[in-house]
Amino acid sequence: MPRVKLTEYQAKRILLGDAYSGVSFSSGETPTVSGDGPFVVKVDQGIKKRMKQGLLALNVAGTDCVSATNAWEGKGFANFIVEPMLPHDASEERYVSFERVRDGIRVLYAREGGIEIEEHPDKVETFLIRGAGDVSVVSTKTGIPHTFIESVLSAFEKEYFAFLEINPLVIQNGEIHLLDAAVLVDSSAQFFANGWSASDIVKQAKKHPREAAVEALAETTPASLKLNVINPDGSLYFLLSGGGGSIVIADEAELLGMGKEIANYGEYSGGPTREETYLYAKEVFALMLASSAPKKALVIAGGVANFTDVKTTFGGIIDALTEYADALRAGNVRVYVRRGGPNETEGLARMGTFLEKERLLGSVYGSDAVITSAVDDAITYLKS
Amino acid sequence: MKSFLEQVRAGEDGVLVMGNHPRIIQSMLDFDYLSGKNAPSVRALITGNRKALKCFWGKKEILIPCYANVSLVPEERAKRVRWMLNVQSGRRAFDSTVSFFEAFPEAFGGTIFAENVPEKHATELIARYGATKLLSGPASVGILVPRALKLGAIGGVDAVQIEKSHLTLEGSIAVVSTSGGMTNELIHGVAASGKGVSFALAIGGDRFPVASLSEVLAVIENDPHSKALAYFGELGGVDEYEIVELLKSKKFTKPVIAYIAGIIDEAFDEHMQFGHAKALVARQDESARAKREALRAAGAIAPDTFPEFLAAFRKTPGGDIVAPMGIADDLKSRRESILSTREIINVDTAPEYVKNGALVSQTGSFSRNILSALLARKPKSEVTVAFADAVFSLLIDHGGAVSGAVNTMVTARAGKDMVSSLASGLLTIGPRFGGAINESARTWNAGFASGVTASAFVEQETKAGRLILGIGHKKYRIGLLDPRVAALSQFATLLKNHPRYDFARQVEEVTTAKSGSLILNVDGIIASLFTDILSECEGFTDAELKALIDAEFFNALFIIPRTVGFISHFLEQKENDEGLFRLPEDLLFTRKPEK
Repeated sequence: MPRVKLTEYQAKRILLGDAYSGVSFSSGETPTVSGDGPFVVKVDQGIKKRMKQGLLALNVAGTDCVSATNAWEGKGFANFIVEPMLPHDASEERYVSFERVRDGIRVLYAREGGIEIEEHPDKVETFLIRGAGDVSVVSTKTGIPHTFIESVLSAFEKEYFAFLEINPLVIQNGEIHLLDAAVLVDSSAQFFANGWSASDIVKQAKKHPREAAVEALAETTPASLKLNVINPDGSLYFLLSGGGGSIVIADEAELLGMGKEIANYGEYSGGPTREETYLYAKEVFALMLASSAPKKALVIAGGVANFTDVKTTFGGIIDALTEYADALRAGNVRVYVRRGGPNETEGLARMGTFLEKERLLGSVYGSDAVITSAVDDAITYLKS
Repeated sequence: MKSFLEQVRAGEDGVLVMGNHPRIIQSMLDFDYLSGKNAPSVRALITGNRKALKCFWGKKEILIPCYANVSLVPEERAKRVRWMLNVQSGRRAFDSTVSFFEAFPEAFGGTIFAENVPEKHATELIARYGATKLLSGPASVGILVPRALKLGAIGGVDAVQIEKSHLTLEGSIAVVSTSGGMTNELIHGVAASGKGVSFALAIGGDRFPVASLSEVLAVIENDPHSKALAYFGELGGVDEYEIVELLKSKKFTKPVIAYIAGIIDEAFDEHMQFGHAKALVARQDESARAKREALRAAGAIAPDTFPEFLAAFRKTPGGDIVAPMGIADDLKSRRESILSTREIINVDTAPEYVKNGALVSQTGSFSRNILSALLARKPKSEVTVAFADAVFSLLIDHGGAVSGAVNTMVTARAGKDMVSSLASGLLTIGPRFGGAINESARTWNAGFASGVTASAFVEQETKAGRLILGIGHKKYRIGLLDPRVAALSQFATLLKNHPRYDFARQVEEVTTAKSGSLILNVDGIIASLFTDILSECEGFTDAELKALIDAEFFNALFIIPRTVGFISHFLEQKENDEGLFRLPEDLLFTRKPEK
């Protein structure tokens, strides 16, 4: 599973423990801050470059924390963080990041804080931490206290951190201040980590309801189900299987000049049941019906599966198609199929017969045809 | 680097499956069978809750043994294990992989099927096994060496797919892919081009595959059968630059045909996360186009379209393959049974009992035949048969006062039939009456194996508030010994060693010091001596004894003879026919309800 963003609040709680004095609050809540400030108030939803986007307010008085968030709520943000402001000079700012790599933890460090490191590779020093000896080297060369590096490594070890970027980092009198910290954790490790849980993962700003529905469905099965809505009024719809095969098919559409017409990208794989495939397919069909494109093609395609059963998964797709057949036909939809794998012959035969009966048939190919056959035909139809 | 492939082709194909995935395992057996092997590559499964998995070997059904953990795999099954197939969940993949390699340090490698293995676990596996093993995954569909080894779902799970993709024939193109589905698409494409695969490995779409691309390429470079490499990669990550480096430094010298998927990413405003964890462009050099161009610059064939990529297979140096088809069709008609059993006795023939008007003396006795049926092997020792015979004879009855006999008689007097009356008696058998032999066997076996002293053992059981089954009698005590126990204990003199019996006697010494009635009872002596006899005279291993105990075998030593006793009581009641039995009121203590 991919790496996911932890809230800045939870990241700092893990790294600094009780020494951290920030407070997290949501829309409608009033944070309890100690002292008169001034404070920094920020959106805490994993957004990059908050300063540029105006999602960060400096020099806020303790009584103004809530009003500082009003404009952000209007933009759909709901989770915020307030921290005491640290008076410092810009020259005190530094950049540091830690990332889990194949053979250890890679550290990138720059003397200058607040920079985009991709744009300034010359200013970045790289270290690789593989053991205790390496910690001393990094500490000596960067001036970052040994104990702080240890606590970062402990978070990588116990809390399954995958990436930590502190930009800027300020060190005053040997004491460390994380003005901004972004953490990616390994979502596969949720079961093993104690310091964070699903509720500490940042909520992405507004998802398409169909994406949200598939995401909820995916959480209930060991199979893989993914959906991204790309162009809601596109004409080319995908019901693809396999992480790699789905890209090959989408590539073909781009190569034939139809990349902008792709309405959705996604894939099902890992042996979903008939019922799971049915529920997944329905979400794609609902997208198709909502599209304003005058003519649409549905590509049901994938590679030659290792173990995903073609008959079973096509059974689920046919169940969903049965519900939507009339509406799809009315929307000028043609269906193009290419698939191989266990029980291929039976699965394809059932699909072919069904599509013909419902007058939705474009073409049906099995493993003897190239993986791109169905998408090629679909594009020919859309261009005709 | 590793000559694994040559060793595998020479027959080193033993697989231990961690977890259970019946369809994948069946496909491995079909591959083995269609490749013409004599025996399945899958030696055993490590999985709970079952002792065997039923599979087809050709059209015939076989049982593959399952064990709860690696330490229980018997030596003859373990000795040729070279590979691990790990089909456990992402959470358990790390622990189970470590337990496999700890038990089989000489193993060549394996494959981890699960997605969602934590990154930290993957990097830890790299640190432990990356340099010495060929371990594909996490999120790998497996490793394939045509005709020799199919480790995982790779190449398909249908017998027809196995045949159609030429998996049982040695070819010349090595296939490597990050994506599991595309591994199979490439294998299929190689076969469709008229060529065959020499070796295939699905690296897995996770961020940290244990077997890195460079390591897999080194295996292929050193494999004389592999004449070219067909590679499928995706946008995201920089692994393909490893191929570029190897080509430039001439460390990989065979033709490379590569397809890097993900040009579609250029159609979107922002980089998108595709299906695999790694499939996200974080830096410019991770784009499909950049990687494709770098590969071309290093001399690889890296076409823009997938059909062009497939067409390039034809131009590789290795020879064509002509595959005989239709053998797998034969496997389509097979039908799975729904229950497994064995032939308990030979039902097709019968011995000659009478010849020329005279009795023929028989080699088998009833006791001997019962033992053969129960244990599924013929007894080797006369001691075993004699002991069973003694037990069967002594336990037929122990008077009409015991609870099972009372129930049989009461039921018979209620006018019920033989089977009902017998069942009523049999259903009384349990931990307090007759059914303690098995638990007693467990006690002596475990007590002796644990090495604790008898007094420590008694202390521990007393503290836990448990009764020691096999100790204590309502009637007999020190000074009034159970004659059955005295008679049976003589069997100990026929054995060289009798550790369980000794342990039982030592326990008795401790318990009788507390109370004279806490003697070794008839259940206890049967349990201790029969486990010792099976071990010494019949060669049962500890694991086999434990399996018998888990199956409650030792209680059969009571149930079988006592069935005869109960029927005798039933017949007696029918003969006397005294009418319905009713308990006299004065023998009941009846508590009145509170007012």
